[in-house]
Amino acid sequence: MNRHTLYFALAVAAQFLILAAVPAQKIYTRATGRSVTLKMRPVDPYNVLSGYYVTLNYEIANPDSFANSDDSYKGERVYAILERRADGEWRPGSLSNSYPANLPENRIAIRGRHTYSRIEYGIEDFFIPEGKRAEIEEGLRKNHDRARVEIKVDSKGDAALVRLLIGNHVYDY
Amino acid sequence: MAPEYNRSVKFRAALKREIPAWTEQGILAEDRAARLRSLYELDDLGKESSRLLSAALFTLGSMMVGGGVISFVAAHWDEISRGPKVVLLFAALLVFHIAGYWLRYRSAWPRLGHALIFCGCLVFGANIGLLAQAYQVSGAWYGMFGVWALGSLAMAWAARSWITGLLVIVTSFTWFAGFAEDSHERLAIVYPPLLAAALLPLAWTIRSRALNTLTYFGLICSLPVLTLIRFDNVRYVLIAVAAGGFAAWAAGEFHRATGIRKEFGAPASNLGLATLASAAYLWSFHWAWRWSDNIDWNHLYWLIPAGFAVAIGVALLAKAWARMDESQRRSAAGVAAASLLLCLSPPLNRFGAWPTLAANAAALVIAAALIGKGIVEERRLAFWAGSLFVATLIVSRFFEYESSLLLKSAAFIVCGAVTMIVGVAYEKFLHRREATAQ
Repeated sequence: MNRHTLYFALAVAAQFLILAAVPAQKIYTRATGRSVTLKMRPVDPYNVLSGYYVTLNYEIANPDSFANSDDSYKGERVYAILERRADGEWRPGSLSNSYPANLPENRIAIRGRHTYSRIEYGIEDFFIPEGKRAEIEEGLRKNHDRARVEIKVDSKGDAALVRLLIGNHVYDY
Repeated sequence: MAPEYNRSVKFRAALKREIPAWTEQGILAEDRAARLRSLYELDDLGKESSRLLSAALFTLGSMMVGGGVISFVAAHWDEISRGPKVVLLFAALLVFHIAGYWLRYRSAWPRLGHALIFCGCLVFGANIGLLAQAYQVSGAWYGMFGVWALGSLAMAWAARSWITGLLVIVTSFTWFAGFAEDSHERLAIVYPPLLAAALLPLAWTIRSRALNTLTYFGLICSLPVLTLIRFDNVRYVLIAVAAGGFAAWAAGEFHRATGIRKEFGAPASNLGLATLASAAYLWSFHWAWRWSDNIDWNHLYWLIPAGFAVAIGVALLAKAWARMDESQRRSAAGVAAASLLLCLSPPLNRFGAWPTLAANAAALVIAAALIGKGIVEERRLAFWAGSLFVATLIVSRFFEYESSLLLKSAAFIVCGAVTMIVGVAYEKFLHRREATAQ
């Protein structure tokens, strides 16, 4: 193998590695994570879709929905601890700067980033096919109180979107 | 200083047309004609133009074929499940690169191969977005451009591809602007030196003027972006622009004076000079200084890359200085003084009209340097650019400040007349020089 071939092969390998790394975290989280269903908060019906993805909004994106929220978390990486209620719904509990150890069965921690006004978890955009755009938009307008998102959360707190549930419809892409 | 030959295709084509007539009339001996042909590489002219045309056609053609394939796949994308999608994305990338490699290194179609490798890098960028979509990966919008730039950089070096290098400038700059704006402005100061370290050696190795000049353009643009993001005082952007312009101009002068990669000299020097002249012109208006005097000391980190650019520029200029003749030194000293004036103008804002005067003085010095270069080196373009710059400055000042119509009329008449008289005198001077040389 001459030098040209070697360098070229290394560059192609680098591009393959980068491509493989893009979904790697989400694949791991989907494979090993624990399922959590989150209630979506109402979204602006006139700005539901941007391009080919739905912008999702959650109760846990609002820092004020956590009991111990204060300014010290702003701009920091945070772990949002959710608590499963008796009705099976996961609701915001408290915030932590580190991954909490020994969480009971009815609690789970999701890693996010406090961006001053909200907390982002990397599950805010749900990509949809072009053909389903109108149907999902209509469904979200009519059933926004029955719209949920199923995510998986792995042992490090990383979250991955799995499917969108609007009323009785399931959207899994 | 090494003699500078006119290497333009236009001049060489004209020379190639004229030489047979000169030898036929006995003006030029055969052996001298042969030396001229060799010196200006006139026999390569046909090959060069066909190479350029074929490179442009192949790049355009392969981009259209690639776009067609991507559109075809996109039309059926929703019907394909996730596994086959991933296989398709990786296969498409591999096909472009393998075909590109084979054509570039193993066939008689290296330019087509180069074009396919470039298209492979475009496909690589599209694949990042499509994979993110397939696995619901969301995050900062600029992240995709960062990884695209990294993968393309590896390929630009491996395939020694100038056009892929240009893709790296575009994608990495997009990443940098987003990253810096997203509260990472302190970390983002590493971008200008990283861009220079990643691409200038590549441009040097493959002798690409386009890549060299556009890397400097990327550096010039990145410095004001850093200043604008968090620093409240907009007038300090002038320092960042002047620092970048000075560095590019000094690098160009270094190449020209030392003869090292001489072909890089004129484009880099002209880019730097154009940047300095544009900055001096914009800040020569008094309204450009109507900003508060407050300096946010917490956000002065942008001075680090700007200072680094100035230091590199000074070092390169010092190296070039020893190889310059007296007139070139005068011109270089003028441009360096104008850069210094521009950098010193923002802190002068506390002293009334001084910064406006300093910017105007810098603009005039740059114009004088251009006119001087036009006279000494007999370069028409430099002379006329300098003259036009002076005329623009005078006209702008008359429109900027309220003055009587009579005064305006007198000024315009004087300006126009002086331009014509000086122009005619310059053309006569050139003709006299040509006659003396003959």
